[in-house]
Amino acid sequence: MFEPEDDVVARVIQQLRRPVTIDPELDARVMREIAAVPPAQRRVWPWWSLLAAAAVLGALLITRPWTWDAGRSGPDAFQFVLVAPQAASVSLVGDFNDWDPKRAPMQTAQGVWATVVNLAPGRYRYAFLVNGVEWRADPGAPAAKDDEFGTPSSVVTVGGRGS
Amino acid sequence: MIIVAVLLCAQVAAQDPRLERLDPDTRSAVVALMDSARGDGLPVEPLIQRALEGATKSAPGARIVAAVRRLALDLGAARTALGTDASSPELEAGVAALRAGATPQVLTQLRTVRRPPLTMALSVLADLVASGVRADSAAAAVLTLAPKARDADLVEFRRAVERDIALGAPPGAATSIRVNAGALDNAYGASSGNTPRPPSRP
Repeated sequence: MFEPEDDVVARVIQQLRRPVTIDPELDARVMREIAAVPPAQRRVWPWWSLLAAAAVLGALLITRPWTWDAGRSGPDAFQFVLVAPQAASVSLVGDFNDWDPKRAPMQTAQGVWATVVNLAPGRYRYAFLVNGVEWRADPGAPAAKDDEFGTPSSVVTVGGRGS
Repeated sequence: MIIVAVLLCAQVAAQDPRLERLDPDTRSAVVALMDSARGDGLPVEPLIQRALEGATKSAPGARIVAAVRRLALDLGAARTALGTDASSPELEAGVAALRAGATPQVLTQLRTVRRPPLTMALSVLADLVASGVRADSAAAAVLTLAPKARDADLVEFRRAVERDIALGAPPGAATSIRVNAGALDNAYGASSGNTPRPPSRP
């Protein structure tokens, strides 16, 4: 228990309560030190560096012209699923992979074939190729009505505004 | 310099290794159509994809060329309706809408009531028709929703109509009821911003 009568404690308290004296010259010394620091040198870019930057910016604008679409989100991940318990292989082919069956083989888990593809905004036609010979549309997606090759296809659309 | 650039592009297209999947006669005909489309300022990637689709599906060369030619013509019609600043995805979706039965005037009107991109709105119009909705009803619905609805709202609208149709509702009634429900609840366009989401189904 704290006993204020204790001699040692009383002396400590007395020391702590003693006002601290600050050197009246302290403020002036601090200001002198600050003033002694050399000001940061402002770097003035030479005219040719500004010209080079403008050229790079111009090249970027030419190679990647700004459009309304430029602000759209990047590729979205889409999962494609086909239930085909009897299939030995299923490939996803469409406008997003040059209709190349080798580029999108699907993985199966007990007859449920699935794969995930990143798609940029746009409208894509696609179909499933089962066992390398049988074309199937996606039963869970809108059908492509304008199929001119006599086999079913589906459509997926990736929007760019809160899609 | 512009001529050199155009010739260079044409050469690159002619050498596009993807087109080697076509037989020589079909390839040369497709390349000629691509050159013509490029000269008209139309995107050629959709033409390439249509040709590759035909090749993968083992379609006869004549059918592939006919499909590519028809697509090039329709891309031109879509651009006329949507304007010269329409993007390639918008033009492709515009082709789908036109082929579904939408008139060019509908596309032009959509351009005036909704800021780009119009890809989703045009696609939803085409998909509704594919679900059995009459083209004029689908166009009216999309034009009603287009000014405020986000792309996600349009997709949800399409899914709701398809669900109702699958449950036995007449396509026209399903469409009008869903449009009216959206208008009453202010469901479309009420929220804003993109939210992260897991991989989604088409």
